[in-house]
Amino acid sequence: MEALIQNIINALSLSSLYALIALGMAIIFGIMRLMNFAQGDFIMVGGYAIVILADLPWPLKVLATLLVVVALALAVERLAFRPVRDSDPATLLVTSFAVAFLLQNLALIIFGSLAKATTLSPFLLEVWRIGDLAVPKRDVVMIITTLLLLAGLVAFLDRTATGVQMRAASEDFRMTQLLGVNANKIVASAFAVSGLLAAVAGLFLVSTTGTVSWNMGLNPLLVGFIASVIGGLGSLRGAVLGGFALGTITVMLQAYLPLELRPYRDAFAYSAVLLILLLRPEGLIVERTAKERV
Amino acid sequence: MAARVKEHWPLLGLMLLTTLIAQVHFLGAEVVSREVTTALVNLVLVVGLYIFIGNSGVFSFGHISFMAIGAYTTAILVIPLSIKPYILPNLPGFLADAHLAFVPATIIAGLVAAVFAAIIAVPLMRLSGLTAALATFAVLVIVFVVADNWETFTGGASGLANVPTQTGVYDALAWALVALVVAYAFQRTRWALKLRASREDEPAARAVGIGVTLERTIAFVLGAFLAGVGGSLFAQFLGAFTAQAFFLNITFLTLMMLIVGGFTSLAGAVIGTIFISALSALLIRVEDGVDIVGLHLQATRGLREVILALIMLLVLILRPRGITGGREIRWPFRSAQPTVGRS
Amino acid sequence: MLRIDELTVRYGPIAALHGISLEVNEGEVVGLIGPNGAGKSTTLNTIVGLIKPASGSITFDGRSIVGQVPAKIARSGIALVPEGRRIFGRLTVAENLQLGAAVRKDRAQVAEDLERTLDLFGVLRTYYSQPADRLSGGEQQQLAIARALLGRPRLLLLDEPSLGLAPIIVDLVFDVLAELKRDGVTILLVEQVAARTAEFADRSYVLRTGRIALSGTRDELDGKADFAHAYLGALDEV
Repeated sequence: MEALIQNIINALSLSSLYALIALGMAIIFGIMRLMNFAQGDFIMVGGYAIVILADLPWPLKVLATLLVVVALALAVERLAFRPVRDSDPATLLVTSFAVAFLLQNLALIIFGSLAKATTLSPFLLEVWRIGDLAVPKRDVVMIITTLLLLAGLVAFLDRTATGVQMRAASEDFRMTQLLGVNANKIVASAFAVSGLLAAVAGLFLVSTTGTVSWNMGLNPLLVGFIASVIGGLGSLRGAVLGGFALGTITVMLQAYLPLELRPYRDAFAYSAVLLILLLRPEGLIVERTAKERV
Repeated sequence: MAARVKEHWPLLGLMLLTTLIAQVHFLGAEVVSREVTTALVNLVLVVGLYIFIGNSGVFSFGHISFMAIGAYTTAILVIPLSIKPYILPNLPGFLADAHLAFVPATIIAGLVAAVFAAIIAVPLMRLSGLTAALATFAVLVIVFVVADNWETFTGGASGLANVPTQTGVYDALAWALVALVVAYAFQRTRWALKLRASREDEPAARAVGIGVTLERTIAFVLGAFLAGVGGSLFAQFLGAFTAQAFFLNITFLTLMMLIVGGFTSLAGAVIGTIFISALSALLIRVEDGVDIVGLHLQATRGLREVILALIMLLVLILRPRGITGGREIRWPFRSAQPTVGRS
Repeated sequence: MLRIDELTVRYGPIAALHGISLEVNEGEVVGLIGPNGAGKSTTLNTIVGLIKPASGSITFDGRSIVGQVPAKIARSGIALVPEGRRIFGRLTVAENLQLGAAVRKDRAQVAEDLERTLDLFGVLRTYYSQPADRLSGGEQQQLAIARALLGRPRLLLLDEPSLGLAPIIVDLVFDVLAELKRDGVTILLVEQVAARTAEFADRSYVLRTGRIALSGTRDELDGKADFAHAYLGALDEV
C-alpha cells in the first residue's frame, strides 16, 4: 500500500514536469506549426543559470532563471524563427534542430562536457514523514507549483486580450492577422510563455536530478514530443493530459514492468507515438470539434 | 559522344568533381585520407537522403536508422568467425556461421535496410508534411533504443568492435559514384517527375489526380538502400561503433549537408557534402590547435558544431534553397544551345 | 477610396488576374460578380495582403498598400469577411467579437458598438457565451460580419457571404447588408449570385477568367445589350 501511494506521488510530480514541457511545446506548435526541437535546450540553459547563480538565495535564483530562459526564448524567436516563419513546417523543424544543436554546443564550449552538480534549495531535499510514508517536499512543491501555473495560464488565455488573441491564432493564425492583430506580438508572446514553462521545468528537473549537463535537453525534448503527440499536436489541454498520461505510465512501467523489458520502455513509448500519428493524428485526447447546426 | 556528355553533364560533372576531390588524399598524411573517406561515406548517406527528400519534398529524420541497420548487418556478416562467438554469442546459427567479403556484405546491408524501409513505408508514406517528418523521427528513436539494448544482434550499449576495417578511399569513392548514378537515373524517371510535381504543390497535384504514395515509397526505399550501404561502409571504416553513432548528431550533419548544398538538386547534395566536410576538417584543426602567423589558436570541443549550426541557420534564413539554389550544374563551356538547368 | 490599377496576380506560371482595374468610392456598395475561378477571391485576398501581386497597384485613400502585411492593412481600415467565414470555433461568440475590435483603442466606443451590433444580430446575443462552433452556418456568417464590423472598418470586403446558406438565410444576410448600406458603410461585395448582387449594389464589375468583362451601375448593366442579361441570367442558373 505504501509502495503504491509512493508511486502515485512520484507519478504526479513527474507528470507535472512532463506536462509543463509538453505545454511549452504545444503553445508554440499551435500558433506556428513548429515542433520546437530546441525546447529541451531552453530547459538546459535554465539549468546552467541555476549553476552560475549557485550562491544566491533561492528566490533570486528562481527569478533569474525565469528571466534568462524567457529572454533566450524571445531571442531565438527573433533571430532564428521569425525570418523563416512563412516557410513550410519541415523547414521550421530543421531550423529548430539547428538551434538545438547550436545551444548544446555553446554550452559544451562554455561549461565543458562534465555534468555540474547543483541544487536549488536544501529544503527541497527534505521529506515529510507520515507513518511509514516518506513524502519528498520537492514532489509536493512541484505538484503545487504546476497547479498554480496551469491556473495562471488558463486565466491568462481566457481573460486577457493577448491570451484570447493567442487562442485565436492557434485556430487560424491568418484570420487573426486579417483582424489586425500583430503577428509578431502573438508569436513573441507564445515564445515568452513557452520560455517561462521551460524555465520552471528546468527548475523542477534540476531539483530532481541535482545535475546539469550540456546534453540534458534531449530527454525533455523526447518527453515533450511524445506527450504532445499523445495529446494532439498543438492542443494545450491535450498537452497537459498527454504529459500526465506519459508521466504516470513511465513511473508505473518502471515500477511494474518485468526487469528485462525495462530498457525498451522508450521504444514502447515511441511505437505508441507512431501508432497515434498513423491512426489518430489528432491525438488521443480530442478537443471538441467544430460541429455546425444546420 | 560530345552531345551525350553534355546531356548528362549534371551527372558526369558531379562524378568528375567527386573523383577529383577524392584525390586530395594524396596530398596529406593518414589523417587527410581518413577525412576524405569519411566525406565519401557521408556523400553516400546524403545522396540517399536526397533521393527521398529532394524528390518528394518531405523531410525524413529517420534515414540514419537505415544507416544503423546497414552497419549492424555488415558487422554481423563480416566479423571474423574466430572472434564472432565472443562478441555476439547468442546469434542464431546461420548468422553465427555467416562470413562475407566486402562487396557482398555491403550490398546485403543496403538490401536489408531497403526491406526494413519498405515495411515501414506502408503506413508511413501515406502521411504528408509535418506528420511524416515527426513519424520518421519516431522511427529514428525506436531504432536507436532497440540498437542500444538488443545485445543479441547489436552488442547493446557497448556496441560492436573488431569489424575488419576494409573501406578504403577508393571503395568509398566507387560507392559514392554508384550513389550518384542511382540518384541521377532515378530523378529522370516518371516517378521522380511526378514526385517533383507534387513537391511544388501537393494539394494541386492531388487535385489533378496525382497520388504519390507509390512514388514516395520507391524514393524512400531507394534512399534507404543507399543509407544502408553508407552504414556498411561506415562500419567497415571505423571497425567499432555504438548505437550513439546513429542518432541525432549524424542525422543533423547529413541533413545539414543536404540543406546547405540545396536539397532539391543532386548537385546540392554533392556540393553541400564537400563544403561541410572541408569546413569541418578545417575547424577540427582549429580545435586541435593551429599556428597561424605565430599565433597559436586553440578552441575547445564544440566550436566546430557551433560554427556548423550557425552556417546552417544562416543558409535557412538567407538562402533557403542552398548554395546551388537547388539547381543542377551546367555545362561549363560555351555551347550553341544554352543548356537549361533543372531544379 | 480603394483603387486597383492593372493588377496582375500569378500562381506559379498561371496568371489568375490579368491586369484588372476597379474602384470603390466612399459610401458606395460595389459588386464583384463572376463564376467560380474567375479571380474574385484572388482579388480580395490580394487587397488584404494575403497574396503578393506580380504587378499593378492597389491604393487605399491614395496610399499604396501593396506589400504591407495583412495586419497593417487591416489596421488602416479594411476588413474582410472571408470565404467560409473562418470564425474561431473554439472561442466564444463574445471572444470572436472581441477579436474583431482588437485593433481599436477607444474602449467606451467599442462597448457601444458592441451593443448596437448585438441589436442588429439578435442571435449573437442569445449565444453570446457559447463556443462559436455551436452556431449554424447562417449564424456563423452573421458572426463573421459582426466581427468585421466591430473593427469599425471604412471599407468592408465580403467574400461570397451567401455561399452555402439556405435561401431564407441569404435573405437575412442581404437584409443586414442593406442596413449597413443605409448606415453608409462602404462595401465591396463578391458574389456568384449575379442578378441579386447587381440589383443590390450601386455599381458592379463582372469578372471572367481574370479579366473585367463588364462594369457599370445596375441601369447601365441592364442597358448594356442583351449580352449582359444573358450572361448574368445564365450565371444565376448555374
